Amino acid sequence: MVKRKNPLKSLLFFLLILLIVFFCLFPFGQMLSLSLKYSWDWGNPSWIPTKINLDAYKELLNIGSSLKDVPESVLLLLEESPELTAVQKKAILATYQDTGDVFPFLKYFRNSLLLSFLASFISTCLAVLGAYAFSRLQFLGRSVVQRGVLFVYMFGGILLLIPLYRIFASLLLLSSPGGTLASLLIIYVVQTLPVSLYMLGNYFRTIPYSIEEAAMIEGLSRFGTIMKIIIPLSLSAIFTVFIYCFMIAWNEYMFASVFLKSYKALYTLPIGLKTLFMSKNAIWDRIMAASMLTAVPVMILFMSIQKNLTSGLASGGVKE
Amino acid sequence: MHHNSANILKRGSLGTRAQQEQRLGWSLVFPSVVIILVLILYPVLYNTFLSLFAFDVSGNRTFVGLGNYAEVLRDREFRLALGTTLLYVVCTTLGTTVLGVVVALALHRKFPLRSLVRSIVLLPYVAPVISVVFAWQFVFDPVNGIFMEIFHSQLGWFSQRMNIVGDPSTAVWAAIVFSIWKNFPFTYLMVLSRLQAIDQTLYEAAEVDGASPWQQFKAITMPEIYFVVNALILLRVIWNFNKFDEVYLLSSNVKVLSVYTYLKAFTGTMDFGQGSTLAVLQFVLLIGFILFYVKKVLKW
Repeated sequence: MVKRKNPLKSLLFFLLILLIVFFCLFPFGQMLSLSLKYSWDWGNPSWIPTKINLDAYKELLNIGSSLKDVPESVLLLLEESPELTAVQKKAILATYQDTGDVFPFLKYFRNSLLLSFLASFISTCLAVLGAYAFSRLQFLGRSVVQRGVLFVYMFGGILLLIPLYRIFASLLLLSSPGGTLASLLIIYVVQTLPVSLYMLGNYFRTIPYSIEEAAMIEGLSRFGTIMKIIIPLSLSAIFTVFIYCFMIAWNEYMFASVFLKSYKALYTLPIGLKTLFMSKNAIWDRIMAASMLTAVPVMILFMSIQKNLTSGLASGGVKE
Repeated sequence: MHHNSANILKRGSLGTRAQQEQRLGWSLVFPSVVIILVLILYPVLYNTFLSLFAFDVSGNRTFVGLGNYAEVLRDREFRLALGTTLLYVVCTTLGTTVLGVVVALALHRKFPLRSLVRSIVLLPYVAPVISVVFAWQFVFDPVNGIFMEIFHSQLGWFSQRMNIVGDPSTAVWAAIVFSIWKNFPFTYLMVLSRLQAIDQTLYEAAEVDGASPWQQFKAITMPEIYFVVNALILLRVIWNFNKFDEVYLLSSNVKVLSVYTYLKAFTGTMDFGQGSTLAVLQFVLLIGFILFYVKKVLKW
């Protein structure tokens, strides 16, 4: 667009770009830098740690059960008491190094992964079928259903939180861990289904109908065309929708905080992190390392689908 | 699923092709429709029903008619929460829109490493709220945070180190800045894809006619992005009016309506009656705004 280059204007433009990049990245830089710093280094405004501290990551990922938390006197005592068996010694040491109580990151990570994966898988499967019907089949009430799906965008989570809690509680689902997990799973499917239907419906409309017609003339049934033509042709879009749902479920805090309140073992990463932050174990390096480890999988997934996701979002399917 | 639909197809072969389509269409959307009806529409109605009851500590309910509504409307904290919500929504919508449009215009031009910069700009939007919220808390940390380091120690705009997130009167501003940072990439993305769809010959013709860049922007770019920007404003208002996570996780001191409702219903005495009343009122206010906006601004 700009043909004649004015050096001053170019310089200002590059400064603007630099500013934008800095604005987007500096909280991430802050997070990474702090997760690697010792506590005496926090006030240092430079992002490069004076001395690299990997303890927080090691602790969260359970790498190397270091003896650093065990007081010297205890270590000495253990060495000097031959009457203790090896098992007893181990048990004593374990009371000092049990990081699971501080923040069982891996357990929360597994919970989050399980819930998000199942929810987005179910949601994507249902959406493939529904979206195909929306985009290809003429049936009575189609436009009403389609508009209904859009209308659902307007309902904020808070409007559904109290009634869903009451409903699941009165079905006695919340009195067992399994029932609670199932309730939350269903809620995540509902939360992601409208957006999946919408995004996939938009995508299916871009597939030329003539391909399907040809297949049906060859004798393939409608359902056969979905399985043999539509799904293989839209694998990347389906994957994109799957990841998008995964990210929504991975980030969800409100429903999880209410439903899982009394089941500490089922905590997902968002509530786990929030609880850690409110607890006496809250130390910046630990929080930031946990934040990094929560963010990285999502960012990697995003990078893998970026191109498709951006066009999917741009065609109007989105949820917040 | 496979068997079901296959059976339906077989039976359908007795009927006409249109009837087959009807049946297949409904059987394909059926699971989704049931889930949405049972778990979204029914709860919304049930919530309205609950708002007519008072709940005691053990969860038993008594019918009070519109009593909860009268009580909530008299509640000073409700009005404060409404005010905070309006401030939050107006400022975040304005900030998100302006920043998103400016960044989209900038990244629409050609420059080295453009595709890398375009990816970087999306990061705030895709990063989990729970992770970045702690980074921002540290940014505003009174002792070690970069914000006080710059605006107190370097520039001297603040006479003392303040705890912006911790103080209820200033926390809303931190929440606004955080929300703009988190959500402007979405506006950027939408506006950019609209900009890319503008016919380039329009600009070429304008250049031939001697139009200045500013005139080109006003006469071509603005009308082209007008609709998408207004639609984005509407979406942003809807989303931010209902926003919970981004506000509550940064600071529970920012009592916007969603946070106020959450605290009412799930902490302390767990007042489900007033909680559901608040949720209904919030929904009604939002619908009112949407109708107004669609009629007056989008002129549909």
